[in-house]
Amino acid sequence: MADQGSQISTGTKIAFTIGSLILATVYFTALDYALMEMQGLDFFYLLRK
Amino acid sequence: MATLNKQAQKKIWAFLALGTFVGLLLLPLFLSLPAGASGGAPAPAASTAPPVAQPADAKPVEKSRDIWYKTEGPVVGAPAPKTTDGPKDYPRYNFESRVLLWVANQQHLYYGSFVLAVPIFCMVIEYLGIITKDKALARKYDQLAYDFIKISLTAYSLTAILGGILVFTYLTLYPTFFGYLASIFRPVMHTYALLFVAESGTLYIYYYGWDRMREGFLKWVHVSMSVVLNMIGTVLMMLANSWIAFMQSPAGVDDQGRYLGNIWHVIHTTLWNPINVHRIIGNMAFGGGVVAAYAAYRFLTAKTDEERAHYDWMGYVAMFIGVCFLIPLPFAGYWLMREVYAYRQQMGITLMGGLLAWLFIIQAVMIGSLFLTTNYYLWQGLERMRGAERYQKYIKYMVFVLITCFIVWLTPHTMVMTPGELKAMGGQQHPVLGNYGVMSAKNGAINTIITTTVLSFIMYQRGNKVPTVKWAPMGNAFLFGMFTVAYINIIGLAIYGYYIPANVRVGLSVPQVATTLSCLFIGVLLNSIMLKGAKELGPTAWGQVSVRSQYALIMLATAFTWMMGLMGYIRSSVRLFWHVNEIMRDNSPWAFTHTIGFAANMISFNVLFFWITILFVFWLGSLGIKKAPVAASVGQKVPVPAGSH
Repeated sequence: MADQGSQISTGTKIAFTIGSLILATVYFTALDYALMEMQGLDFFYLLRK
Repeated sequence: MATLNKQAQKKIWAFLALGTFVGLLLLPLFLSLPAGASGGAPAPAASTAPPVAQPADAKPVEKSRDIWYKTEGPVVGAPAPKTTDGPKDYPRYNFESRVLLWVANQQHLYYGSFVLAVPIFCMVIEYLGIITKDKALARKYDQLAYDFIKISLTAYSLTAILGGILVFTYLTLYPTFFGYLASIFRPVMHTYALLFVAESGTLYIYYYGWDRMREGFLKWVHVSMSVVLNMIGTVLMMLANSWIAFMQSPAGVDDQGRYLGNIWHVIHTTLWNPINVHRIIGNMAFGGGVVAAYAAYRFLTAKTDEERAHYDWMGYVAMFIGVCFLIPLPFAGYWLMREVYAYRQQMGITLMGGLLAWLFIIQAVMIGSLFLTTNYYLWQGLERMRGAERYQKYIKYMVFVLITCFIVWLTPHTMVMTPGELKAMGGQQHPVLGNYGVMSAKNGAINTIITTTVLSFIMYQRGNKVPTVKWAPMGNAFLFGMFTVAYINIIGLAIYGYYIPANVRVGLSVPQVATTLSCLFIGVLLNSIMLKGAKELGPTAWGQVSVRSQYALIMLATAFTWMMGLMGYIRSSVRLFWHVNEIMRDNSPWAFTHTIGFAANMISFNVLFFWITILFVFWLGSLGIKKAPVAASVGQKVPVPAGSH
């Protein structure tokens, strides 16, 4: 049971990291948008102005 | 099979008992639902009944309108007395009566909070001890629960004595006001006294029956008794809360303060439930802090490594519980403030933007220092673990982030200045630093501080472990991605707030908080799952930690105490010159708001007084030790929360 992290290539690690960053960005943007909508506020106010 | 069934039965009973307690904790939330809050049908069910013939000389029953619920009810009480400054209404010594009452109230509250919170920890830990299959671990949990209740018991007598002092102070220095309050709350006060007797009886049986009810079914009876104990304690606290809530947002009386016969309206004022929830959570955080300080004290005075290991672990568990309740506390506070604004907007403005606003700056400093200290303790705790050196290099960056955010967090919006200083600065706001005095910056700062604390905890969980699950690289990448984007999101939203109108900006605080909570729940849960079956680089050496970490625990407890005194003062003084808001005016010579300096000195005095007396309680508790701590040799594995070890 060695550390699994050392058994994968650097390329895979980078791919995981980029994938995670994209996933987290989508999640937090959706969260921001949904919670502002719930309050009846426009999250993209500045863009629409 | 029979054993299994027995085990299952025991678990069902335990869940039922705990479910009852959780239900009771949630009771205030259910009571706050609109149906309950509306006050129900206003008594005149009799109006549908056929009219009863009245004697010709019978005096008609006077009816009046409830000041809050707006329902009609029969006048059954006298109007609120109109007091005058003199020995009849305000008898006094050659001293400010309000200050004497302040000390008596605050001390009773400190001890009351402590003895209500500690049995809750005790109940949970004793329950953990019962369901744990490992007998050695079960004994350790049991010992810890016993240690908790032992401290609480000694403090309990002092709480009762302080309660007596408080009542005598009211009766002798504010007799007219107290008479009015007692005339309205008469049945509640009697119920309170009876519940106090029940609480005392249960507590003493619970404590002294510990050894006798050690095994089998009796142990379940014992743990169920802790549920009963906590139920009574929670109801006691809620009843006492109804008095202060009535003083701040009266209901159940008319505009002259005459009682209208509905005791539920008087208890269930608009601020009662927010205060209940805020106090339960606050008591838990405070109780955790005090027990952690007790453990630190015992650690520092320990003579053997075994004792040191035990109290190091105890301090960690108590600190963990305290911080778990510290995190939701601001949200409960937010609800309370929202209800204050909904009740009287002017009251909210006095608190947050007027006379008392500077006290909130002090509160900000206290909150910041609480989080800094928590992080410091966790970093010090890494010393206990072999292999944790890998994380030391990140601490300096975390310190930088925390200090930067702390400075932004405590930057005031405007300063009190001389005309010369005002001219030199070019206005009330500093051209650069003034930008950090607004809520956009502060929301960003506090959320970054909490997120960094979560990161410190995740680092601590991993201290001496390396995840071995197959998906560990993916999990690590996800944690990295989530925290990176979370920081960007929090700070991005804070900057975004500068470019949009105030009515949209206020909404940004919700996604910021949600981001922080996402990191807390997803991050800690994911990390805990990843660490299941992880490779250990070495055991956690409990007791082998710097003394600085123990002073950090004492600092945490002191900060909790100071903040509790401060927030209590703020909530109470917002009534300004009213005994009962808009009903009974305070006509004593002390119906003014103190200066910030005086208030801060008084709070410090109360904190100092509490800590001197509680040290005495700790010392007293240590005299009667009959049970030696269960041996936990240095380096031995002992249980900790969150499945971290």
